[in-house]
Amino acid sequence: MSISGSQPLDAEINAPVAMVTMPKRREGTDSTERINRLEVVVRYALYIVITLFLFIPFVMTVLSSFKTSAEVIAFPPTFLPSVWHPENYLHVLTQINGFPRMVFNSFFITFAAVALNLFFDSLVGYAFARLEFPFKNTLFAIMIASMVIPGFVFIVPRYILLLNAHLVNTYGALLVLYFLQPAYILLMTQFFKSIPRDLEEAAIVDGMGWFGIFWKIILPLARPALLATGILTFAGMWNGFFDWLIYMQDQTMFNIQLGLTTFRSVYQNQWDLIMAGSVLAILPILIVYIAGQRYFVRGIATTGMK
Amino acid sequence: MAVTVAPNAPAVTAKGSRRKRGGMAIAERRAGLLFVTPYLLYFLILQLAALAFAIWVSFHHYDLLALDNPWVGLRNYARLTVNQDFLIAMRNTTEYAVVVVILQTVFALLLAVLLDSKIKGRNFFRSTWYTPSIASSVVISMVFLYVYHPTGLLNSILGLVGIHTSEAYLESTTWALPALMFLAIWTTAPTFMLMFLAALQDIPKEVYEAAAVDGASGVRKLFSITIPLLRPIIFLVVSLGIIGCFQVFDQMFIMTSGGPLKATLSVALLIYDNLFHDVGTVGVACAEAIVLGLVIFALTLISRRVIDTKIEY
Repeated sequence: MSISGSQPLDAEINAPVAMVTMPKRREGTDSTERINRLEVVVRYALYIVITLFLFIPFVMTVLSSFKTSAEVIAFPPTFLPSVWHPENYLHVLTQINGFPRMVFNSFFITFAAVALNLFFDSLVGYAFARLEFPFKNTLFAIMIASMVIPGFVFIVPRYILLLNAHLVNTYGALLVLYFLQPAYILLMTQFFKSIPRDLEEAAIVDGMGWFGIFWKIILPLARPALLATGILTFAGMWNGFFDWLIYMQDQTMFNIQLGLTTFRSVYQNQWDLIMAGSVLAILPILIVYIAGQRYFVRGIATTGMK
Repeated sequence: MAVTVAPNAPAVTAKGSRRKRGGMAIAERRAGLLFVTPYLLYFLILQLAALAFAIWVSFHHYDLLALDNPWVGLRNYARLTVNQDFLIAMRNTTEYAVVVVILQTVFALLLAVLLDSKIKGRNFFRSTWYTPSIASSVVISMVFLYVYHPTGLLNSILGLVGIHTSEAYLESTTWALPALMFLAIWTTAPTFMLMFLAALQDIPKEVYEAAAVDGASGVRKLFSITIPLLRPIIFLVVSLGIIGCFQVFDQMFIMTSGGPLKATLSVALLIYDNLFHDVGTVGVACAEAIVLGLVIFALTLISRRVIDTKIEY
């Protein structure tokens, strides 16, 4: 038992990821080599056009963030800044009312929600995957079905509930709404079902309690699924806007996203600040995406959530 | 694992614990119920009670600050049929959803098919193509405020190819809604691209080999093999698209405020206004949200029927 049990398990877990990154199919034949060469050129042209189409707005945003406000929308337009103004970023941090606080709020809620989801999504997911208890299948079916109810239906009742609980305009409002997320419970459930039962049975014989089994044996094996849940929760919470708009009323409680929307009205047409602020708002999520790309991809492929 | 422990639970273990089995089952049930309690609370309070309360409010003349909220029956619903704003919002939202869902699904599938082939730099393309989907709706909106500015990125690029215009897209009743549709397709398609890509790699390659032997062309293979086999994932992408598009809010709120002349007023934006700006229209907002929910539900069922998710190899 012990370590050897985790060997085939890892292979199994990595399989879908490996499949996403390995292009093995449809070999070309020699007779059509010349046509293939032309085809390759055409195809690369197409790939590059698509890349420009999907990526140019970001490139221009980053370049614009170093221009003066007038140059961003100057006519005729410039590609590179005529003079680089890195101090635009300093201006966002110092001139925008309460911007550092917004950065803190964004990070605080994001990390808190990630921690809560890692614990609760996996705990509930483990129960659904492994334990027998009354109404398990009914509750699981309800969870799946409820995922298709459009969120807008819940806005009024949730707002009134949180208003009466005196949680509006506090971090509590968002933590109550996002301490767990059914989509990631489902992701964890599917993962736990793929772990062999042998380890748990040995632990049961040793007289370990269920929480001990979950905490000490199962969770350490669940790293790939936990990473997917954590990264996707990070993305969702960091990018959150609508809930902040509804529940946060003081500027001291805004996150970066909500703060950024006020740039437009309060700092009208200060394109340098808008562009630099946008870059700052996308930076953390970009870093997480680059570092955890395989889990990101895997999580989206299994849940369809972002 | 293979040597020391048999794959099925070893007999010794089963026998040794038989006596404790009853006690253990109770412990397991107790643990199961305890572990699932967080979701049970979430479901009962934030989903079930919330849904019931939303329906209840929709039958009342409701105000967040009022002490007395009288019962009005179906009047909130009946009024929607003659409420000009709601009809405009519903038409805009439907138009938006139809165009965006169709085009983003087609575009996402095209991107996935392009990535699911032998080409150098495939991982680079996948990473860069996915970028529009990791940015928040707010950042995307800010970027596109610049793109659609009269002297912004779009008109600069058009100028490069000889089309000189200073159209203010977001202030035009003709262009504002299509501009927001384009933004949505651009930012959402890459997410669905990843889902299609994962599904494409699950198609057994033997199917393609057989088709190649029969001399089927690439396009033919796409339409006779790939798309039919992808039906379940196409349905998933279409229904997620419907759910998202019918609740579109952020871009309208940030970029156009529903204007010009309500050309980009969406149902979600109207619900928000009814909730937080207008007085005494919380009941109406709930009725609107429930109608919106029913429309989404109905369209999802219809798309399931149309796409027919059964597959035969």
